[in-house]
Amino acid sequence: MSHRRIALVLSTAAMGVTVSAAVLAQRHSTSASQAAAKAGSSQVHSIVLPKYPPEIPQGPNLEVYEKDCLLCHTARYVSMQPPFSKTVWQNEVKKMVDAYGAPISEADQALIVEYLVAVKGVEVPAAATAPPK
Amino acid sequence: MEDTQGELAHARRRFISTLISLGGLAVVSRAFGDDFASLSVFDFATIPADTGDRKLVRYPQKTDLILLTDRPPQLETPLRYFGTDLTPNDAFFVRWHLSGIPTTVDLRTFRLEVGGHVSKPLSLSLKDLQSKFEAVSLVAFSQCAGNSRSLFEPRVPGGQWGNGAMGNARWKGVRLKDVLDAAGVLPGAVQVGLHGLDVPPLPKTPRFEKSLEIDHARDGEVMIAYEMNGELLPMLNGFPIRIVVPGWYATYWVKSLSSISVLDQPLKTFWMDKAYRIPNNADANEEPQHLSPVTVPINRMAVHSIFVRPEPDEQLRTGQSYELAGVANDGGAGIRRVEVSKDGGQTWNDATLGADLGKYSWRRWQAKWTPPAKGTYRLMVRATNNDGETQRTTQWNRSGYQRDVIEHLDVAVL
Repeated sequence: MSHRRIALVLSTAAMGVTVSAAVLAQRHSTSASQAAAKAGSSQVHSIVLPKYPPEIPQGPNLEVYEKDCLLCHTARYVSMQPPFSKTVWQNEVKKMVDAYGAPISEADQALIVEYLVAVKGVEVPAAATAPPK
Repeated sequence: MEDTQGELAHARRRFISTLISLGGLAVVSRAFGDDFASLSVFDFATIPADTGDRKLVRYPQKTDLILLTDRPPQLETPLRYFGTDLTPNDAFFVRWHLSGIPTTVDLRTFRLEVGGHVSKPLSLSLKDLQSKFEAVSLVAFSQCAGNSRSLFEPRVPGGQWGNGAMGNARWKGVRLKDVLDAAGVLPGAVQVGLHGLDVPPLPKTPRFEKSLEIDHARDGEVMIAYEMNGELLPMLNGFPIRIVVPGWYATYWVKSLSSISVLDQPLKTFWMDKAYRIPNNADANEEPQHLSPVTVPINRMAVHSIFVRPEPDEQLRTGQSYELAGVANDGGAGIRRVEVSKDGGQTWNDATLGADLGKYSWRRWQAKWTPPAKGTYRLMVRATNNDGETQRTTQWNRSGYQRDVIEHLDVAVL
């Protein structure tokens, strides 16, 4: 992950979006957690998660995608997918908002769909398109 | 095949490059002639080439596993670890839903809270569970509801698992029934709600939570496990305790269990009401253009079998004896028969079953085969359980759950 992206994530968090301590701890392991790991033989069991950020492909509205989506989860949720139709991506983004409570404006949702279609889109007739969940 | 030309080209390139790296172009032409276009008829019955990089990574307390996602971690077990009756803890698959996963547990303060519709709420330490309740042990197979999702056609969004989101382990712990009895379930209880130490990244994100019907929770088989294959659970597999629901998909096996709530009303949560639902029929089957109007929460595991050997890219040799091998499971009746076909399902032969570790365990199987001539062979495997249930030849559903279709594998014999 580039410094720019780390800075972006942190600045987004600082802007007032609540991010659980666990998420931040995961991304920025501290010496405290390292120490806890050494104490693992006692009553405190601890691990330090490694970091395996994926390469994030360039595309339109990349900044919006990074700001709104990568706050909660890795970009691998996108990079592991096969190409999907715009309809599928629209439904996925909508699910993030409706089911998972992602605070993404309608305008941003459209921009994110544009990015997803650009990097993982497919132009095929309905027969090859998975329907919405 | 619904693949786009681009995908096919990609898969073809990858396959050819594998062949070239294994023995040069001569091998390719011997195996397939000069008509590379014919490669497009091969169904690799494996991970489509477009599905991420699937690189091997190493997490704490785990061996090298296939990376699906890193935040939260989702790690798939490579097939080669399915060659033993019990899957090693360090090779066991990992699947978390929310990025706030537990990475530190202090056993001095960790408590399992048991409350809700009970007469005597409990707050139990790990030591309480280990010392105040009868210990029970059981071999049980665990499998992600979305195992093998990447093999569905047309493809569906979601975790793009191959066949490795599963494993078989010996679990030790206490009966959920005994803990509920100690808490004194009140009349009118209908369900038990379960959640763990994982926390959502945003306040509005629903915490991961599952429910079991009260009779199921009190059947004496559902377990609160504190040991896995004789050891404490790895952190990523739910340390210090997790629910084990024998025969049911792993979505119910709540990890790092911290709360049991007895409910007098059904649990209302995204994780039961919207997610992890399947078409309301035995095979979780529907058609893309005719989605099932009624869905139900996924539940008992279907009859299912896979190849462990050969692996999808493996090549066999004419006239050389080879041991086909794999595993089969169901939802608790136990596997009684596994059959293998080497001709695309025209003829079938019984495989030899491995050790019987109990009705909730998977059953390993093997079958000797000497490929008679060069060419490509479509291998298939199907299992039958003690209730006579077997597997179907086609299946699809919108969320890619409960894949139980007869597996096929196109193998090149050189």
